[in-house]
Amino acid sequence: MLPGAGKETWDAVVNEENQEHLIESNAILLDVLRDQAGTLGVKRGCDMGTCGCCAVLVDGEPRLSCLCLAKETQGTKITTVEGLADGHHLHPIQQCFAEAGGSQCGFCTPGFLVVSAALLDENPEPSREEIKCAIEGNLCRCTGYQQIVDAVEMAASMKREGTTSPDPTDPKSDPHPLGPDDPSLPPGSSK
Amino acid sequence: MAKGYRQAPGKGGDKKRTDGKRVAGQQDFGVPGSGGSNPHSNLQDLDYVPESVGGWKKQPRGPHVHDRHITGMTIGKSVPLVDSNWKITGQAQYGDDIRLPGELIGKILRSPHHYAKIRSIDVSAAEAMDGVFAVATGQDSVNKFGVLPVTKDEHAMAQDKVRHVGDLVACVCAIDEATAIEAMNAISVDYEVLPSIHDMEDGLKDSENPIHDRGKYHIGESNVQKRVFQQFGDLDGMKKAPYVHESDWETAGLHHGFTEPHAVVAHWDPSGRLTVWTPQQVPHYLHRGLSAVLDIPMHQINVHRTFVGGGFGGKSDPFPHEMCAAILARKSGRPVRINFDREEVYWINRGRHPSRIQMGVFADDEGRIAGIETDALIDGGAFASFGHVTTYYNGVLHTAPYEIGGFNYTGARVWTNKPASGAMRGHGAVNSRCAVEVGIDAVSEQMNVDPMTFRLANLLPPHSRTITGFRVTSTGMRECLAKVREQSGWDEKFRNLPLGKGIGVGCGFFISGSGLPIHWDPENFPHATVHLQCDMDGGVTVHTGAADIGQGSDTAVAQAVSEVLALPLDMIRIRSKESDTAPVDLGSYSSRVTFMNCNAAIKAACELRDKVLKAAWEITGYNPDVLVLGDRRIYYKHDPAVGVSWLEAVHKAQADVGSLIASGAYRTPPMGGVHKGAAAGLAPAYSFSAYVAEVDVDVETGFVKITKAWAAHDCGKALNPLAVKGQIIGSCHMGMGQVLSEEMKYGRDGHLMNPDLLDYKIMSVHEMPDVVPIIVESNDPEGPFGAKEAGEGPLLPILPAVCNAIYDAIGIRIDELPVTPDRLHKRIEKHCRKIGIDDPLDLPVPRFEAGPLQQKLAERADAHAKRDHLRDIQEDRSSYVNGVLFGFDPDKPMAEQKEGWREAVIPTAEDLADPSKRAARAWGHVERRHRGDD
Repeated sequence: MLPGAGKETWDAVVNEENQEHLIESNAILLDVLRDQAGTLGVKRGCDMGTCGCCAVLVDGEPRLSCLCLAKETQGTKITTVEGLADGHHLHPIQQCFAEAGGSQCGFCTPGFLVVSAALLDENPEPSREEIKCAIEGNLCRCTGYQQIVDAVEMAASMKREGTTSPDPTDPKSDPHPLGPDDPSLPPGSSK
Repeated sequence: MAKGYRQAPGKGGDKKRTDGKRVAGQQDFGVPGSGGSNPHSNLQDLDYVPESVGGWKKQPRGPHVHDRHITGMTIGKSVPLVDSNWKITGQAQYGDDIRLPGELIGKILRSPHHYAKIRSIDVSAAEAMDGVFAVATGQDSVNKFGVLPVTKDEHAMAQDKVRHVGDLVACVCAIDEATAIEAMNAISVDYEVLPSIHDMEDGLKDSENPIHDRGKYHIGESNVQKRVFQQFGDLDGMKKAPYVHESDWETAGLHHGFTEPHAVVAHWDPSGRLTVWTPQQVPHYLHRGLSAVLDIPMHQINVHRTFVGGGFGGKSDPFPHEMCAAILARKSGRPVRINFDREEVYWINRGRHPSRIQMGVFADDEGRIAGIETDALIDGGAFASFGHVTTYYNGVLHTAPYEIGGFNYTGARVWTNKPASGAMRGHGAVNSRCAVEVGIDAVSEQMNVDPMTFRLANLLPPHSRTITGFRVTSTGMRECLAKVREQSGWDEKFRNLPLGKGIGVGCGFFISGSGLPIHWDPENFPHATVHLQCDMDGGVTVHTGAADIGQGSDTAVAQAVSEVLALPLDMIRIRSKESDTAPVDLGSYSSRVTFMNCNAAIKAACELRDKVLKAAWEITGYNPDVLVLGDRRIYYKHDPAVGVSWLEAVHKAQADVGSLIASGAYRTPPMGGVHKGAAAGLAPAYSFSAYVAEVDVDVETGFVKITKAWAAHDCGKALNPLAVKGQIIGSCHMGMGQVLSEEMKYGRDGHLMNPDLLDYKIMSVHEMPDVVPIIVESNDPEGPFGAKEAGEGPLLPILPAVCNAIYDAIGIRIDELPVTPDRLHKRIEKHCRKIGIDDPLDLPVPRFEAGPLQQKLAERADAHAKRDHLRDIQEDRSSYVNGVLFGFDPDKPMAEQKEGWREAVIPTAEDLADPSKRAARAWGHVERRHRGDD
């Protein structure tokens, strides 16, 4: 960061929330998102556009936030990994990443997720080759990519079929269906 | 008794046991009480229950001691990692995501010189700056630390000299990053530059200014940090062997390339205790290191492991920046966060050692491996790190999976003025394993034998001992080879592909947990401990210190507990992050976690289960011997309708005993030889793997593309096949990077030229070929449910498989890694000149014609397959040691049976006579204490 830069106001819609911050005029989008907007899901891997961990969607387009001046994104709609899920309903790409083993240490995952989500918005039926082209700017050191590509394929078919992810906070079962006489209740509860 | 506890069954199951009896538990029962995402108690999944306890899971290698703990819940099933939802929603907190109120930002001033004395440091200007809260230098922490107790040679910051570019000199903390950087730049340091060394062979020579001084233990006046010598077997026989392949390898240094740069937050809380948040693979060693450096007792420190954004060995040392954060936080009275940029990650390094390895592989007339002779010189960089162990691993891990006639290893590790090398996935074994496997390919070619057959005819059987005394329990090596041979179409392709296309095979062998941990004491301190606590809600909280670094150790431990207690995974909660709540665990290194922690978890879970069963006994009136656990139920074996829900039994148990807790620990059995270094490479079990790789080589440019790989790994038992496959493919990715593109490049003046991910070439998705992961389960007798490691071993075979495939494609033996296009192009040009052709497109391709030994070895391999099967199912319990293939009696000492049999760990003058051997030169020095001049 160069010293002596002036301050200016930055506003954008981050994950469907209007945000306004006073930023240095030369601030990098990654810094603003992490340090001011509070979206720590955007990861800092290399600061030079080589790893893809900091990818976010700016008006639906994947951008590397470490190579992007915050002021370039003035007034845009920014989606980070935190904005993919609908409440507790995961985005299909999130659920498939977990189920297919697309995420091991998980540090590169936010970048892969937003990039793949953008791909699925644009191309509901991507081939493996198209998936590879979409994620070519992202490095993953754990998975060897194979299970990531599997996950994107799975998510594409899930999205096409319109399947939604279950809400993990839904009641699991009535824990005491027999009322106060349920033997599974702690002794003495029936009184 | 059984009064009123008969539960109404729902629909009956139609499954039958293998013995035709009615299946216990195959009836659907109603709500089992709280917990779990399923309102109904699931039927016992007999597909996952072993035959030995009445299920349908085939056991070709016989029963296992943990079979009776299997309830069909999760073991053997592909389950997502238990923490994956944190990662995919962006809520997982890694080092840099810990933000405390009032935090300061720390920055580290690093050395611009390779090697220099520090005459003075002036921090006054920095201290006077507005917004600067503390400045610290080496004077603030004079205590040494290091990951290995025997080689502590690091300080938080340089004391009197800096040892590599990037070595820590001072640190500051300030209100924000810009101020911290400014303050860091305001520190002036007066250096006296010393002549630095960068070539590892220079490290072998005497120096006026050795990089470290180890006092009376210093080896000569050299920079030799560690030297190893091991000679076992019939070396005269080895030297006379008719088939010999000698090679001289040069392999580049590597970095782990994890995506998360190091980051640490330190905070002294109001009660005066220190908490450090850091992505650590081995929090316990950091705990010890902090205590030593800061001079405070361990109980005043809480090491909090954050999510770890990839480790691979690179986050397993206690690091000086972690000490710096604690020192700054102490001085400033505020929390301090230090996060690295990518370049700093390369300065701290601890990656794979740059190595020069001279390898000799010898084979005799009978097609046996008469011996392996290795001389390995490795470049340790500026600090010891794990180097003591690495030096051993470069040799001792060659003693299997093959039966060998002789083993001759000389190794040395030297200090140079580079960022320190350390442990990296496949620790120490990777480079030399590549050399061994390429040598084996070459001697089998000399013998006109298929290299698959040659390997299959020389494998150590299960339940045997290696030449240096490692105890091999289970081995699935034979099955691994058979599977990749079949699935890759080896027999049609080998030596039959056109110029530029090739196929090659390689094998691997790796430890599953270090037999003697780094910190152990004579009282047999356990390697892993797991505590369980169960409360009114019926869920179980697991306290373990196992560091989940993305490999899924939390998931594996949760699975083990879930399996024994027959609870769904969502009723198991893992608390593994804080040293305050976790029992001591030695951390995620040497592929120990699954083996050791899951074993401890099984023990703990069994203890808890027995307490709950006792309560169920009192409720149902049935003895625990006839009670079984199914999904959240405990019921009578012969009438599933008679039973109690888990929760009911838990409540009863708590009413009876007050608290429901249990604990389990794991320690390795006594094993191994008595010679110096016998503990290095010793493990309670070993993993085996065999890979076949196919490559396309562009002979005009030297560009190599790996087109497909078949990867068979014997992990004992895949607790979670999804995770095992992920580990296999991920290992391939890392190994392929090492063989084709990754290297830490040092310029002519010794400067690291590529400390970034642009020039340090990690494979992208486009370079990564299709990998077919093949899981082989050898059912280890001591492994948890039969499991062994799957994290590091799968990396080893891909390197030689690719090198051997390149030979198959163009007839050139690789001996330099990585095989970048420029290097291979030079080799092709040289080869063309040597054989007198102008156009590389005319290169002759190696072809295979079976020689007289082929048939003989194929027959021996078949006979051995039968031998191994009998040993697997314990029908043949005779002892077997390396040497039986050579006609030795396994029950008598080898030295009595063969004149000239060597077992030596100190070289004689004769052993060091060959001046071309590099590591041997390290033995030319005399330790100061033995020189008699003090």
